[in-house]
Amino acid sequence: MKPTAIREPAATGIVVAGLRKRYGTTPALDGMSFTVRPGLVTGLVGPNGAGKSTTMRVILGLDAADAGTALVDGRPYRSLRRPLNHLGSLLDAAAPHPGRSGRDHLLWLAHAQGLTARRVDQVIDQVGLTPAARRKAGGYSLGMRQRLGIAAALLGDPPTLMLDEPFNGMDPDGIIWTRRLLRSLAAQGRAVLVSSHLMGEMQDIADHLVVVGRGRAVADAAVTELLAAASGDRVVLRTPAAAHATRILTRAGATVTATGPHTGPDTVTVSGLPAERIVTLLGGNAVPFTEVTAHRATLEDVYLELTRETVEFPTSPQAPR
Amino acid sequence: MRSALHAEWTKIRTVSAPLRLLLGGVAATVALSAAAASVATCTSPTCGGDPTRLSLTGVILGQAFVAVLAVQVIAGEYGTGMIRTTLLATPRRTVTLAAKAVTLTGVVTAAGTVAVLGSLLAGRFILPAPSPVDGPALRATVGSILYLTLIALLGLGLATILRDSATSIGTVLGVLYLFPVLAQVIGDPQAQRLLQRAGPMSAGLAVQATTGLDDLPIGPWTGLAVTAGWAAAALFTGGLLLHIRDA
Repeated sequence: MKPTAIREPAATGIVVAGLRKRYGTTPALDGMSFTVRPGLVTGLVGPNGAGKSTTMRVILGLDAADAGTALVDGRPYRSLRRPLNHLGSLLDAAAPHPGRSGRDHLLWLAHAQGLTARRVDQVIDQVGLTPAARRKAGGYSLGMRQRLGIAAALLGDPPTLMLDEPFNGMDPDGIIWTRRLLRSLAAQGRAVLVSSHLMGEMQDIADHLVVVGRGRAVADAAVTELLAAASGDRVVLRTPAAAHATRILTRAGATVTATGPHTGPDTVTVSGLPAERIVTLLGGNAVPFTEVTAHRATLEDVYLELTRETVEFPTSPQAPR
Repeated sequence: MRSALHAEWTKIRTVSAPLRLLLGGVAATVALSAAAASVATCTSPTCGGDPTRLSLTGVILGQAFVAVLAVQVIAGEYGTGMIRTTLLATPRRTVTLAAKAVTLTGVVTAAGTVAVLGSLLAGRFILPAPSPVDGPALRATVGSILYLTLIALLGLGLATILRDSATSIGTVLGVLYLFPVLAQVIGDPQAQRLLQRAGPMSAGLAVQATTGLDDLPIGPWTGLAVTAGWAAAALFTGGLLLHIRDA
């Protein structure tokens, strides 16, 4: 064995570097790399089949990668002695036994980590599952099962949490509750990784986004950065004299297109000129217009933009912009 | 390892199926043993030679319950997906399997003891010539309990390899009952003897014999060692596959 480098002091969070994995001939991960930092909610988003769940399974040591490393607190998950004290996780496909009560499910998990029943009751209370704790998990609704899964993730009071599609099947109350919980966990200084195939779910909770497509990260940036980059300087212009306006604005250096985020009759998208300049130009040339709006991108736009080329099964050959 | 054991023990006692299977196994063992003792024709004072073995007939049925329980211990987790939670809590997979094996050994030994002693007791009441309490009888008693435990470990190993409840139960029962059936069908006495020596059930149950040891296809302890070999091979292969496969 090669002599190992000096151990990094208390490297918390998750570091994924160059993960590759094939299932048969299908590449599932193709150089996946990103970092999940303390104090932030990091969103892992991408279309179904992009490699989100596979990445999480590799981080958790359930699946082995063909190449690359995934470290939790600086170590591979499978080498952790009390893993739930390092990383709490919620996996979509790890259901409790239907004949065991929610409390007993948490109890055996606690015993596996040398924790006591008192800690179990604490997390049950924290996720609001106390009334149903002694009922069989088979009778739980999807939302209750998710709460049970979150309770399991919180059991070891870990500095890092990882949740795969936590909003799936939750009612609106549950979604709001989960969002608040994740925000508060990050505010306590924990690293939180949340995956979703719906970008809209990330809008209000994520600080940082890792957008994945075809087994790799196609974007890894702060949410504010991504929004700023996607908004560009596009302005939506509504005018009954579109042809005239286009001539004037093009002469002033702008690019005008008939399509854009807000399409409709008499609507064009202008880029390359600020909104105020457009208003001045149109007014000076007596071109009538009814609306000039600086376009604000949503994460949904960012996502569509980034994943357009990487979606495995696009619904139409040319996805509309 | 202590934590993993504690977790497995909590798992097995917090669902109802294991207890029901164990109770069912005890009841089936004692019932079949009693039935066998009742229908046995006793012309000679020693009841055809081996009253101890006759009293322990029910083990043939009881082992099926034990095998199903053993399979459920791991294949049941694959069925629900809970195996992932198990491996998240105890990522060292050989430790996970060892904890399951130890827990299973404990509960099956306890239930097996009750079933075997119950069968012997029933035999004592029913048979006109009760089984003696001597060395060979003690061997048959302890050997039967060990046999049930080894069948549990064989079931656990096979289920770790196969990961599916139905397939595993079919396979373990097939492995148990196929050799005796084949031995019946095959005419060649040489091949018959070989099958009886190789099968985990026919070889292992030789430990129940107290008389006529020279006529057995395999010695009592050697026979039980064959069963142990099956269990060890299944557990080893299962452990290896569990270690290298994606969960």
